Amino acid sequence: MKDEFSVLICGVGGQGLVLVSNVIGNACAASNLRVITGEQHGLSQRSGAVSIHLRIGSDVRSPLIPVGMGDAIVSLEALETLRYIEYLKEDGLVLMNSRVAFPITDTVELVKKKNAKYFGREDVENRLKQVTANILSVDAFELARQAGNPLTENTVLLGAMSVFESFPVPPEALRESIAKTVPQKAKDANLKAFELGAKASHDRFCTLLPCRQI
Amino acid sequence: MLCNEAIVRGALEADVKVYAGYPGSPTSEILDAFYEIGERMDVRTNISANEKVALETVAGAAMAGLRGMTSMKSVGLNVASDSFFTLGYTGVTAGLVLIVADDPNAHSSQSEQDGRFFGPSAYIPMLEPSDPTDAIQMVKYAFELSERHGVPVLIRTVTRVNQQSGIVQTGSLNRTPFKKVKWTHEPTRFITVADSARKFKANMLERTKRIAQEFEVSPFNRIDEPGSDTGIITSSAGYNYAVEACRILNTRPSILKLGTTYPLPKKLISDFIRPLKQVLIVEELSPYLELNVTALAKEANSQLKIFGKESGHLLEMLEYNTNIVSTALARVIGVKTPLDFDAILKRADALKEGLPVRPPTFCPGCPHRGTLTSMRLALRGIKHVQPTDIGCYSMAPLAPLFYGDTLLSMGASLGVAAGLQYSVEEPVIAMIGDSTFYHAGLPGLANAVNHKCNFKLIILDNSVTAMTGQQPNLGTVPQDDDASVQPLRLEEVLKGMGVTDITIIDAYDVKEAPKKLKEVFTRPGFSVIISRRICALYGDRIKRKKGQPIVPNQVDKNVCNKYYACIRDFNCPAFNVDEDGQAHISRDICDGCMVCTKLCPVSAIKTTGEPR
Repeated sequence: MKDEFSVLICGVGGQGLVLVSNVIGNACAASNLRVITGEQHGLSQRSGAVSIHLRIGSDVRSPLIPVGMGDAIVSLEALETLRYIEYLKEDGLVLMNSRVAFPITDTVELVKKKNAKYFGREDVENRLKQVTANILSVDAFELARQAGNPLTENTVLLGAMSVFESFPVPPEALRESIAKTVPQKAKDANLKAFELGAKASHDRFCTLLPCRQI
Repeated sequence: MLCNEAIVRGALEADVKVYAGYPGSPTSEILDAFYEIGERMDVRTNISANEKVALETVAGAAMAGLRGMTSMKSVGLNVASDSFFTLGYTGVTAGLVLIVADDPNAHSSQSEQDGRFFGPSAYIPMLEPSDPTDAIQMVKYAFELSERHGVPVLIRTVTRVNQQSGIVQTGSLNRTPFKKVKWTHEPTRFITVADSARKFKANMLERTKRIAQEFEVSPFNRIDEPGSDTGIITSSAGYNYAVEACRILNTRPSILKLGTTYPLPKKLISDFIRPLKQVLIVEELSPYLELNVTALAKEANSQLKIFGKESGHLLEMLEYNTNIVSTALARVIGVKTPLDFDAILKRADALKEGLPVRPPTFCPGCPHRGTLTSMRLALRGIKHVQPTDIGCYSMAPLAPLFYGDTLLSMGASLGVAAGLQYSVEEPVIAMIGDSTFYHAGLPGLANAVNHKCNFKLIILDNSVTAMTGQQPNLGTVPQDDDASVQPLRLEEVLKGMGVTDITIIDAYDVKEAPKKLKEVFTRPGFSVIISRRICALYGDRIKRKKGQPIVPNQVDKNVCNKYYACIRDFNCPAFNVDEDGQAHISRDICDGCMVCTKLCPVSAIKTTGEPR
């Protein structure tokens, strides 16, 4: 299963997961890499849990990642990272947005109790550490803002993914795909967001895991 | 390319001329694609009232001699089935292809219905793709098969096929210009009464035999790794999981992948199982293949050990994946899986202890949230029974509202209400959306008027079919001066059907609407309330197109006294509580609908004045 890579992309409805998946998909097509995704379009609602299974490799057939065999989770919202933890292999990569969107159902329960606290990002990170040490929690909203468009959080995390040598898609192909796939007026901000994400990831992992030069 | 897009591509390459459909997950993107490019591709496209009308529309085209296609979700074929069964009898002249998508796991459907039984019940041939590449080939073949045998063809998919995307080799697109044909009148050619129905039946049986012969040698059925004494028989999404399971277990059983699942290639299956010692049947939902293989094995190989659902190796519910199939296959061949999947799942469950669920919820700005708030205020202390219907408002019976008592199928709220008003002591208030009302609510309404039913109906008119992606419905006023449609006016339809008591409220007006609702709810007789406001997602899209701002709200920390009406009673996902325990609004998702400002008892919520 060399040269295979499976990544679970998750978040909440409205965060642009499908765009990330399309950018990677188009970059794979341009780089002669076989890619399949399992998406879930189902209910057209904001703020619900959303996930996409993306798998690269000449022999992959299943659009769903087998349990315990995912190479990475890319999460646009902190709580959602933990929801799919069964898919991650031992010591797999976790690239997560530090931003939390608390489900309203949880808030409704919270306000009924005295001194109750949210299940938050730290709780998620503590649990994740029991499966892997390779966790990057990044303030993607802040980096997206620095890039000039707060809607580019998804591209920040894609940039973070791009630095790993194990991720078989060439960063150049990803940049080209971004330029072609995102709305033209958001192109520059997205490319900048990609670089900022890549740098954050490189700073965190370059001494720990095989990373590409950036 | 998404499999749904591959299906459209296949149809376009097959020079389809007429498409009609009603949206439904997981097939909605097929309809969306035709709606977007139909005109450019010269395909007569319409979003029909319901699946039955859609099937009849394309059947009309195919009877006349033009290729037609429709697509629907599993339960959509129940609605269309009346005409579907008879089309099996009459057949068609030009190619007619029907895509039906089942939903193992009931991701976005009210049941896990297995549509494969429609094929044999209606004597209509059925194909099952496993991925987008299969899909594009099968759609093209289906048109040809349909024409050759003069029969509609069913292509049955599942969610994990429809919403799978991959790299697809497309063929050439040679569109011919749309041209009307001359109708050829042949007595009883498409009329099924008396003797003609019996003749059709005999022809249908003959036709099925011919198609079965063709399927015996179809390239859509193939055997991977022949020669093993262990076999797998599979189709659809099951094939993908089976192939990976073999890879994970490093084993090479013979795999029979079936692409033509009605009529089944019985000789091919018999020849496949004859030399085997054991076979695992990998199919989601009902044991359709398993029962057929078991029957064939009696003649072909009575010693064959058949594993699947009956043996308890695989479930008859939920969707499969590679680890589920690996575990079953490992048991059959007596090896261990390389990973202990059960242990991983168990550990994951433990790690998720305390992680809040994130159920589907009404979007920020959703008019339904306003309507439901007004209903709650109007009905405070009044016990009532609430049959509801299919749409975004089907979420109201879930947490945190738990509002709603029955939910059957499209339009069923009206019929159920008619029965409840005979039977229960409490008042009955039925709820339905505009699109569902046009889809299947009209007969129920006519029935309620005629029988002077004593219940109230509230129609949530958000002007689109919201849940499946805001497609237009029969009442949608087009945004782009589209002169090809005449939107129905709900109150005119109601009046025309004899409804005399009609009240219209604004879904966002949680101050006045409860008063109006209370008046209606305390009147005897049949009344209809229209709660009106466009779907927030649809509205946002229009605003963005027109360059109009969306201005979010904020909570004034000096005023908020932690009463939490905004959270507890309104449940808008834009709200959370901050470190001080005060209500807080996420500006990036607040839609600025202002409804929460009317509910806060201390008026702590105000507009930010800044577009988001």
